[in-house]
Amino acid sequence: MNGRTRIDYDTLVKTDRVHSRVYTDPAIFADEMEKIFHRGWVFVGHSGEVPNTGDFRLKRIGSQPIIMVRDQSGKVQLLLNRCRHRGAAVCQYDQGNLRSFKCAYHGWTYKLDGSLAGVPYPEAYGEDFQRDEFGLTKVPRVESYRGFIFASLSPAGITLKEHLGRSAQEIDLFAGFSDEDEIEVVSGLHKYNFNANWKLAVENSMDGYHPNVTHESFVAAVMERIKSHPSPEHGKAGFNPDSFSTGGGGISKDLGGGHVMLDYGFRIYDPLNGDPLPTVRAINQRGEAHMAEIAARVGAERGADGLREGATHTLIFPNLILIGLHLRVVQPVSLDYTEVCLYPTTLKWLAPEVNEVRLRSHEAFFGSGSFGGPDDSEIFERIQTAAAADLEPWNIISRGMNHERRDEEGLLVGAMTDEITQRAIWRQWKKVMTQETGASARKRASHAAGERG
Amino acid sequence: MAADRSKVENFIYHEARLMDENRYDEWLALWTSDALYWVPCGRDDADPKREVSLIYDDHTRLETRIRRLNSGVAHAQDPKSRMRRVISNLEIEEESNGEVNTASNFILAELRRGVQDVFAGRTIHRLRPENGSYKLVFKKVLLVNNDEYIDNLTFLV
Repeated sequence: MNGRTRIDYDTLVKTDRVHSRVYTDPAIFADEMEKIFHRGWVFVGHSGEVPNTGDFRLKRIGSQPIIMVRDQSGKVQLLLNRCRHRGAAVCQYDQGNLRSFKCAYHGWTYKLDGSLAGVPYPEAYGEDFQRDEFGLTKVPRVESYRGFIFASLSPAGITLKEHLGRSAQEIDLFAGFSDEDEIEVVSGLHKYNFNANWKLAVENSMDGYHPNVTHESFVAAVMERIKSHPSPEHGKAGFNPDSFSTGGGGISKDLGGGHVMLDYGFRIYDPLNGDPLPTVRAINQRGEAHMAEIAARVGAERGADGLREGATHTLIFPNLILIGLHLRVVQPVSLDYTEVCLYPTTLKWLAPEVNEVRLRSHEAFFGSGSFGGPDDSEIFERIQTAAAADLEPWNIISRGMNHERRDEEGLLVGAMTDEITQRAIWRQWKKVMTQETGASARKRASHAAGERG
Repeated sequence: MAADRSKVENFIYHEARLMDENRYDEWLALWTSDALYWVPCGRDDADPKREVSLIYDDHTRLETRIRRLNSGVAHAQDPKSRMRRVISNLEIEEESNGEVNTASNFILAELRRGVQDVFAGRTIHRLRPENGSYKLVFKKVLLVNNDEYIDNLTFLV
């Protein structure tokens, strides 16, 4: 532990409660960066964000600034945004298109695949200067699933497939079974921040107990909207706030490995869209095939709803969230400051008017000016502030412990309002935080440098 | 016939004061039924059919926005923002049908829970003459920080 006091996680996370120190201790945050974000699999971006050669976006893996770029050969590269010469960032914009990365300090220039193309006045480095040793540093392990690109800073470990496990099926549904090149992530992004610990947003995203309270104003607005603008569409499968009540029919589910989901199976967002809603249709044969796959999985009607307003509600541990029509990345920046990016998606094979409704569905609840997300962020800050009151430090996550059950798949499930999801997230968090086997990526790197020296 | 500048100014300043003072219902009453209230996200010239907006309200969604703010349980506005804004650099252009397009700049101080934020931007208004004054048909707000992290935009801007 590099001289730090060893943190006894057993005293902080119990089956039914969590100590608020997990949100307030800088040593725990540093430990999370190392063990969760610099060792395990972390979602970085979707290949649909960089469809063309030279398209890039800046990303982070834990504390590491990363350039995600599509190179000359069409491959998506993950490169550390740091010149190998004297360490200046080589890419200044959140997104864009470039032919190469040139450091503004001394002009070292890198190709899109990260290899060093050239340096000014190379003679002074001597004849044995090996350009290929000085490319931009690549992330050690990169794997993707349906264009979802994950990375690990650790050169060894479980495969992405092993990491995703059952949650991969929720990616299938989210993506409408689309192939990688059919998912578009170029509709802009919502960016918001809050002054609280990152885990509060992760827990909240999979909390089926809070919507009827935190989002009471949204629920009421939607119900009022359905009443004042009745339409055959809305009458057929309207919003049912009882589904967020005990016994309302929604399910909370533990997919294993810290991946969890809420399976609510009813419509929330598009009652706020105008009438009439567009018919969900594909514009080509591949799309028709995907719609058939969706219908086989969840039924045609729910499948169409899902394409208009989102088909799953899933956390991929630790910080990728699929809700509605967007990918969400919760990015820890410091102990009590977090940045969140929401990437709304469209599908190439969907009719344009349906893709437009996807954006309107998304805007209803998500983003800084919406009717949902800002109320959640408000709660995160209230929790972070109140954590100072640690005379009694425990937060309780015991709801539904008395009636957990296994579904036909063998997954642990409970009612929508049960805290199965919270317990599963914390169980995995504790497991990862107490894993001492295997050196971290950072330690490996310094060890390797020592060997070379 | 050129639009009466003072009449246009009066409308825009009045709208600003209603927003500053969280007078939601009076602000909603300024709008026509074919309203569009738009705050682009990411860049000023984003295409709303293809790109997500921070706010893209037709009149129905505008009603929902106000109903929510009036609900007493819109937590991101509990407590409410305290605001004052200054509007300047007003440019006015009248259309042949009598509607008026304006562009103006604003700077807004917004205080909530002990933190004061500054927002700035350019607002495009489209006004329709009605009963000696105007109604608001279209409003597009180009925030200087529309491509940055924004914690809370649930007040009226």
